[in-house]
Amino acid sequence: MLALFEKSAVVLELELRKMMHDQSDIIIRTIQPVLWLTIFGSVFGQLRQVPLSGVPYLAYMTPGVLAQSVLFMAIFTGVSLVWERDLGQLDRLLCAPIPRTAIVLGKALTGGVKGLFQAGIIFAIALVMGVSIIFNPLYMAAVIAVVLLFGICFSSLSIFVMTLLKTRERVMGIVQLITMPLFFASNALYPIELMPRWLQAISFANPMTYVVAALRALMITGDLSGLPTDLAGMGLATVIFVVLASAAFRKIGA
Amino acid sequence: MPEAAVVTVNLAKHYKYLKAVDGISFEVEENEIFGFLGPNGAGKTTTIKCITTLTRPSSGKIEVFGANVVQNPDKVRQSIGYVPQSLSLVNDVSGYENLLFSAKLYGVQGSVRKERIERMLELLGMKDRANDVVRKYSGGMMRRLEIGTALVHQPRLLVLDEPTIGLDPQGRRVVWELLRRLVKEFGITVFLTTHDMSEADELCQRIAIINHGKIVAIGTPAELKHGVGGDIVVLETKQNPETAAKILEKEQGIQISTVGENSLSVIVESAERYVPAIIGSLSSNRIQVEAIFAQKPTLDDVFLKYAGSRMEAEEVGGDWRQIKQVRRAFRKMG
Repeated sequence: MLALFEKSAVVLELELRKMMHDQSDIIIRTIQPVLWLTIFGSVFGQLRQVPLSGVPYLAYMTPGVLAQSVLFMAIFTGVSLVWERDLGQLDRLLCAPIPRTAIVLGKALTGGVKGLFQAGIIFAIALVMGVSIIFNPLYMAAVIAVVLLFGICFSSLSIFVMTLLKTRERVMGIVQLITMPLFFASNALYPIELMPRWLQAISFANPMTYVVAALRALMITGDLSGLPTDLAGMGLATVIFVVLASAAFRKIGA
Repeated sequence: MPEAAVVTVNLAKHYKYLKAVDGISFEVEENEIFGFLGPNGAGKTTTIKCITTLTRPSSGKIEVFGANVVQNPDKVRQSIGYVPQSLSLVNDVSGYENLLFSAKLYGVQGSVRKERIERMLELLGMKDRANDVVRKYSGGMMRRLEIGTALVHQPRLLVLDEPTIGLDPQGRRVVWELLRRLVKEFGITVFLTTHDMSEADELCQRIAIINHGKIVAIGTPAELKHGVGGDIVVLETKQNPETAAKILEKEQGIQISTVGENSLSVIVESAERYVPAIIGSLSSNRIQVEAIFAQKPTLDDVFLKYAGSRMEAEEVGGDWRQIKQVRRAFRKMG
């Protein structure tokens, strides 16, 4: 067990070192959330027909955009893993005496840590745009924990799906296929009550919904009544995806 | 008797449509450079993947220093340093960080780690470039660094898949020198694959020739060349070489190796003794010899003798389909 965490940390460390040498990825990834907030947010906010129980639309969507950018980033964890597999770079990890799960966990942790960078950037943008975020250290610590967990959760999902795919060509299509419904069939951009019944049912099974709800409570509304449910839903999804990803990944190599 | 580094018995790896490795047995002795020579798609990489625990054999047994690759993979992994054919370095970080990463993966701790990395950089002759990003290295430097990353945990066996592919002659020499030093000074055992005859001949102490998933010959380069049965005599004629071949076979009992468009090569015990007889025999049959020369057999002749065709013919001709099959099989498996 100790070896598992130790080796996961080694995998994480390498990924972070890569990131430090080449920060362009992190910088490029800030552009999309900026566009969502400035373009989509400012237009959609004009509608004023969305029932938001008194929260300005920009504030309402900020946790949604945060969750979305972490989601997009996490989904690429699996994509890069498939690349590394096909380029033969993964062999270096696979022929080392480390548990297979350590590779999965290390990569998933990377997804979580990169998510934190996204969170920092979105906090900054939202502040510039005049969104009032709750500045309570406890709440902010909780936001960090949720983002970390969410990153791990969806990185694992991505590793699970991507390792099932046999060719790289199929990966990009699948990325779209996963991210679209996860994002739009959730409460990221609008309340679930607006959705038709069948879509509501789907959104309740969507882990993204719980993440957004938790982030929204911690960052904007301060209403923590739903938080235990949200955290439980997320925790459950994370455990399931990590187990699935490890099982799928073990098939690579003996 | 020295302990065997690798013992392989009846190893087979079958994919759905392909027998990539088809029942091979061989032993690699400790502290030797053992080469697997064969054309692309012959089963070299698959064999390596089985030894390095990257894929599970369909049947048969492999032991690395007594540890079974299927039952005891972590012990095998700890005793092997593996340099794959494709670039396995992390491009975006420095050479030093690549070594550091390998050391940590293999559990090399603290002060030992630092010292070993320093020594490795010295051995590789790249101390002054250690903090540069790998992407800026030359091909030869990358290869040396890769070998370095495979060595920081001090494995007893170094496994390399086509270690000099894509390198210029100078880079090739440097890698060869490094491998020789490792064997001589550090007592390491080297197992490598190559499709380069001169590499097998000059670098390896023993080689196995592999074709279509089977080992067709095994021995020292000298033994194998000796096994061809003498010298190769090549002669050129403007007349039909087929006719010439028949005459030589009948009148002199000479073994024909290959018949080309305007040339013919034969195997004789001793070139000095046979050349006059060959010319005599042919001219008395009114076949004019334009040129004649003798050469010592090469590994290509060995390959020809045991595999029944030239190695390049296997590369470009019949085998491309098989290569594609292997690749597809790997992808499916992945």
